[in-house]
Amino acid sequence: MPYEPAAFSDRLYGAILRVLPFEFRKEFGSDMEQAFLEQRRDVERRSSFGSLLTMWWATIRDIFSMAPREHAMLLLHDSQYALRMMRKNAGYTFFAVVILGLGIGASTAMFSVVNAVMLKPLPYMQGNDLVLLNAQGRKAGIEALPFSPPEIKDYRERNHSLSALVESHSMMFTLFAKGNSQRVHAGVVSASYFDFFGIKPRLGRGFEASDERDGAPPVLLLSYEFWKEREGGDPSIVGKTFEMNDRPHVVIGVLPPIPQYPRENDIYMTTTSCPFRSSPRSVVDRNWRLMSVFGRLKPGVTLQHCGLDLSLIAARLERQYPDAYPHGLGYAMRTASLRDELVRGARPMLLLLLATASLVLLIACANVANLTQARMLRREKELTIRAALGAGSGRLLRQLVTENFILSLLAAVLGVALAFGGVRVLSVFMAHLTPRAREISIDPSVLLFSVVCAVVTAIVFGSIAALYSRNDLSASMREGASQTTLSRRRARLRSMLIVAQVAFSYVLLIGAGLTIRSFVHLQHVNPGFAPEQALAAGIDLNWSKYKTNAQIREVADRLLTSAQRQPGVVAAAVSSSYPLDPDALTMGAWKTSFQVYGAPALASEKLPITAVRAATPDYFRTLGIRILQGRAFNDSDRAESLPVAIVSKSIARHYWPRRNPIGQKVSVDGKNWITIAGVADDVKEFGLGEQAPDQIYVPMAAQPSVGSVLVRAVGDPSHLASEIRLAILAVDPQIAITRLQSLDQVRSDSVSAPRTVADLFGIFSALALIIAVTGLASMLALTVRQRTREIAIRMSLGASTSGVSRMVVGRGLLLVGSGAVAGLISSLVLTRFLSSLLFETSPTDVLTFVAITAVLLGTALFAAYIPARRAAGIDPQIALRSE
Amino acid sequence: LEKQPPLTPAMFNVLLALADGEKHGYAILKDVGEQTGGEVQLSTGTLYGIIKRLLADGLISELRDRPAFENDDQRRRYYQLTEDGRSVAVAEAQRMEKLIARARSKRLIKAMKST
Repeated sequence: MPYEPAAFSDRLYGAILRVLPFEFRKEFGSDMEQAFLEQRRDVERRSSFGSLLTMWWATIRDIFSMAPREHAMLLLHDSQYALRMMRKNAGYTFFAVVILGLGIGASTAMFSVVNAVMLKPLPYMQGNDLVLLNAQGRKAGIEALPFSPPEIKDYRERNHSLSALVESHSMMFTLFAKGNSQRVHAGVVSASYFDFFGIKPRLGRGFEASDERDGAPPVLLLSYEFWKEREGGDPSIVGKTFEMNDRPHVVIGVLPPIPQYPRENDIYMTTTSCPFRSSPRSVVDRNWRLMSVFGRLKPGVTLQHCGLDLSLIAARLERQYPDAYPHGLGYAMRTASLRDELVRGARPMLLLLLATASLVLLIACANVANLTQARMLRREKELTIRAALGAGSGRLLRQLVTENFILSLLAAVLGVALAFGGVRVLSVFMAHLTPRAREISIDPSVLLFSVVCAVVTAIVFGSIAALYSRNDLSASMREGASQTTLSRRRARLRSMLIVAQVAFSYVLLIGAGLTIRSFVHLQHVNPGFAPEQALAAGIDLNWSKYKTNAQIREVADRLLTSAQRQPGVVAAAVSSSYPLDPDALTMGAWKTSFQVYGAPALASEKLPITAVRAATPDYFRTLGIRILQGRAFNDSDRAESLPVAIVSKSIARHYWPRRNPIGQKVSVDGKNWITIAGVADDVKEFGLGEQAPDQIYVPMAAQPSVGSVLVRAVGDPSHLASEIRLAILAVDPQIAITRLQSLDQVRSDSVSAPRTVADLFGIFSALALIIAVTGLASMLALTVRQRTREIAIRMSLGASTSGVSRMVVGRGLLLVGSGAVAGLISSLVLTRFLSSLLFETSPTDVLTFVAITAVLLGTALFAAYIPARRAAGIDPQIALRSE
Repeated sequence: LEKQPPLTPAMFNVLLALADGEKHGYAILKDVGEQTGGEVQLSTGTLYGIIKRLLADGLISELRDRPAFENDDQRRRYYQLTEDGRSVAVAEAQRMEKLIARARSKRLIKAMKST
């Protein structure tokens, strides 16, 4: 047949054929083109243009409908082959899946946290539009100033940027029903509060505006948890009446299980039902500050614009009411996205931990790339034969890629299983860092993440191995191709992967070392009190029963006597709070501004702020706080006697640096002056990592305020817990015991967040070290196996066994040393990002760097020892004969 | 042979097309179209999908020694029935024959004709 150039339509057909798998085209492509050419000519010759179009349409539809089937069949075939090969190499498959699974599991678990806490919108209606109003006393150093009812009214009426503004605060009340009484956390909120967050009650109705009118009959919404646990999920709860604050309250509904913010409450009531919030004084007193305030941005208004709007209102209020906003306060308004506010403390740690987990995955990839390479060496013969039988390099490449994908997907399954197990532990960990921890779960986006991890993993480790095989395959097929160059190149690649693993592990180990060291420092901080053998009971009095100072003083006396009477109690005290009290840390402590006698307060200067603690005489002995000068309180410090106070060392140092503070006077109200009777040692009241605050102690009898009962025991204080509980309830069964813990436990709980970071960092870096070191050991073992002949020759030429061992170990140490140097340099650059999380530990702490280097080298030495012994055990005669 | 998966009508048609001798791709297409009076119109994609499967199952094979036809194109490839292929085609035809017989005994075909 004479030559003719391919017609356009035939070229088009050829192009369409490209949707078919390569193998199919290779086998039948030209035949199909030929058949099509003949068919086309036939139709052109015999039929109309219409039939030609029909033929084209049928052809195109046909090819496009069969292409997916052909691809799927090929994939199925490849997968079956891959699974067969994986079963044949069960050991390799197992290790690769486990190592990658650990990496994917660590990353997936950390991603589930980041996803829940930082990426997902708040579980409220249009949660991204919600803002937190944060009033501050900038000059006085007050970061969060609650709102008073008149302020809320002003912000609500004067703002131009919010479509709604609601308030909330929490109180402890006693709830009576059918002769039972229970202490409950009551959320006091605006009537529109739940509409604002888009929460519909599960039972009954929500609050309505009429429920918040003055004089409206009090109504309650129950939290889901309270309804389930305390009311047994009673379906006919709506309409039930509880007696509270000497008034009947009717239940109107039950809330769904939602994350409650800013704190978890048992019941909710409107502002007019709260006896404090609705008291005549609080409605007009600008200084009666108790409430948190939330706003919803109007459509199109940015957070910045809103911030500006509210700051202007704050400035106007400051000018309008100079009495309520003294110049020294520095009244100001900060507006924050509620979503950001909820994770403010956790964000840097979360990002750090996610980066850490990703690094573990990267190490796992490098490790499996090495494993795969080692396996390729063993499979070389098979691959060469298959190539010789006509499998194109593209075909082999795809076969390998399929194997890698299956491997990675298996690893992802393992990783997700690990993450499922880890998520429960992690949400407990993370509860120390953010209130959103309860939202942590494995959801579709987390699953997608793990699949993406698997795919990326397969591409990363697979492409290294596949590239290598492609280049080598052609080379090894050329008989006698320079095998030395080849194996040298392979060895170099393997070495580079080992060095990378060691370097990454080193960085992680340094990070873990620094956070652990920082945590140890934190543990060894002198808190200023002796937590050993001391027990603290946090308590809450029913306010409607103890209204006057005399009543509170009387109950404090009875509590003290009751506690002192318990056998095994060495000392006891009743106080307003205690050091590291978790409630004071989350809900704010009793702080006030004070004046020093003889140091006139300048209007432009901010007044110093101090923490105040009311305590019975034995407070200092019970907690083991040293009195440095003067005296502790005694029974003669009564309400009617000369008012005295004990100040912390820091106050004494600040205000009377060269004078005796005893006998000096201070005032917390600017009118009544209190004489300093003693100086107590500084106490880390608000956290072991925080500065000890300026603190004033006042006698309980003079300024009664009851928040805790403290005892010091002869032995283990936790044995006393049940006795102390009974002793408190014996005084008044309606007293709510909010917590009962040894002070050792309190102290340990106060550092749970840094402990969490140190723990997770430790786990991740240990994982990384194990992966890297096993990678090193298996690589050295492979090297020894490959060089058996060379080693045998050396030995038969007189090399000693120890010389051979040294050679292997030396090779291992060279790799680890290079990795360590790379890791060291990276660490010096990277650890500065850790510095904000470190306590009294330099990011370049020499001891940590030395210790970690020693750990790494030690482990590497151990890992190298096993293959070294095998090398030394080679019998040159047997080895050479078997060649 | 008993374990042979059932033939699709298109596959059976291809086997039938090869029953009276080896043919190249387009010849098979044409034969199927003509024999069925245009009722079954295979396209190249489906045809080669079937050829691939029949080759893999050993029902047809490619002709190694090409016949010296006149005006033949060197690019054509010829296929022929194997022994297995012939047996499968015969078995399929017999199965169909039995089906038709049953349909007749139920007077289904007659009934169809009368409508």
